[in-house]
Amino acid sequence: MSDLTVNLAGIKMKNPVMSASGTFGSGVEYATVFDVSRMGALVTKGLTKEARAGNKPPRICETPAGLLNAVGLQNPGVEVFIRDLLPEMLEFGVPVIANIAGNTSDEFVYLAERLSNTGVAGLEVNISCPNVKTGGMALGTVPEVAAEVVKAVVQATDLPVIVKLTPNVTDIRELAQAVAEAGADAISLINTLVGMVIDVDKRKPLLGNCIGGLSGPAIRPVGVRAVWEVSQLVDIPIIGMGGITTGRDALEYIMAGATAVAVGSAFFHDPLAAVKIIDELEQYCTDQCVEKLQDLVGVAWKDN
Amino acid sequence: MKGPEEFSCRVMEQAALAPDYYLLKLDAPELAQNSSPGQFAMLGCSEGYDPFLRRPLAIHQVDRNKGQVFFLYQVRGKGTKWLSKRCQNDKLSLLGPLGRGFTYSATGGRAMIVGAGVGVAPLLFLASELRAQGWELIILMGARSKSGILRPDAFMEYGEVKIATEDGSCGVQGTVLDLVSRELEKSSFDKLFACGPLSVLKGVQGMSREKGIAAELSLDERMACGVGACVGCVCQSHDGSYLRVCKEGPVFSAEEVVLGE
Repeated sequence: MSDLTVNLAGIKMKNPVMSASGTFGSGVEYATVFDVSRMGALVTKGLTKEARAGNKPPRICETPAGLLNAVGLQNPGVEVFIRDLLPEMLEFGVPVIANIAGNTSDEFVYLAERLSNTGVAGLEVNISCPNVKTGGMALGTVPEVAAEVVKAVVQATDLPVIVKLTPNVTDIRELAQAVAEAGADAISLINTLVGMVIDVDKRKPLLGNCIGGLSGPAIRPVGVRAVWEVSQLVDIPIIGMGGITTGRDALEYIMAGATAVAVGSAFFHDPLAAVKIIDELEQYCTDQCVEKLQDLVGVAWKDN
Repeated sequence: MKGPEEFSCRVMEQAALAPDYYLLKLDAPELAQNSSPGQFAMLGCSEGYDPFLRRPLAIHQVDRNKGQVFFLYQVRGKGTKWLSKRCQNDKLSLLGPLGRGFTYSATGGRAMIVGAGVGVAPLLFLASELRAQGWELIILMGARSKSGILRPDAFMEYGEVKIATEDGSCGVQGTVLDLVSRELEKSSFDKLFACGPLSVLKGVQGMSREKGIAAELSLDERMACGVGACVGCVCQSHDGSYLRVCKEGPVFSAEEVVLGE
């Protein structure tokens, strides 16, 4: 049997396949569909200090080989999460990573402190949500601003700090470098691409929020490129995501330099996608005589 | 209640009822056993990634003895078009049963069932279960014209069926809401059940409120996950918060929801 294990900035995972924030609920929703304990790690829906109602519907729209969403971080707030959802998530026996979304640096610090010593294995700092008016992507497009948030979070917690970046910037490498220098332990690449669909019959934007974030197979090459560029620049591990639906898609990201990968929209196409991907990675390693999957990380880099 | 599971189901039969309306019969014993009226399933509707999302379809009818599940649907786009081309022995990916269905007392009563167009889809299963629990049913069906009145004969097995079409090609001329108000004047009901376009749901919601009769509405919304994970398919509740149509619904009490445009 090949070794699929990953040590992601101290988070020990039995395989590199995680759930992408916002696509997997708290995992409980899928508990009767497949064995959720097979996942490498679970990432929560974006959590805010107070409960958020989210955006007005429609919130989703199918697009060619993908979808647009503008959910707007609907969540019950960090306190309800810790009290009601986290215990259920921890029962899967898999590392739980809390995705946190603040409007300000102070709110990020509050969330980081509140989630420390609760059983979560790490934090994913969401400075890349395209669907909220404050915070979100606004904090993740200017390197100095992003670095300031990350510095504050790193100081506020002993948990590994993963920073999720947006691809909606001129040069994602500048941002990655800035957050790495600010002390981030890992980087998630990529959040959704900003997009829009017009309802021709109604002659107006289809989504309630007008704009939304594009995900699914349509954006995979964008994510792979981002991982390939960033992973050759920084020394911290990368979690690759964006349109992964098969084991080979996951391998693309890994070969581009991702230490772990996350599955998101694929759950909507096939609820069994994550377990199939884990099985396919295992099968690939067996077929190709790869002893340790981690040996493939970055094999497609320029220098190799 | 058993949670949803993923199945690969064999198509047993697919019939065109009218242009763009299809009745699909699947071999799905567990789904037949574990579903209740008003619940739905997410059906895979492509071979590749376009269309990418599954389609939520209401469970139209089940035959628990034969282990069969029926779906009644309208071709509206690429996904349902693909689905309509599936033939006997083809396999379909399906996640279900999903959502919260209709609720009713097991001791019977008098109910009005209101279905407009393809909105009758979840109501046949409901009618059969209500009838089995001793309910007396008036079933009101409406559509633009005769071709949109779907499976009236099947409904007649469970109660008195009244039909309205906008062009008068079947039943009385008018809308299903005309029938609803007429029947509400004539006699009393313990509960109303409705599924159809927003205008019909709003009409039923308004009239049920006026008459003080409990009503349940089955909503249709674009969905991605179908299990409550993505929070993509929401409707507004009375307190201003958003409810997931796939999880807290698709059936809501009329008092619970604020219906949009």
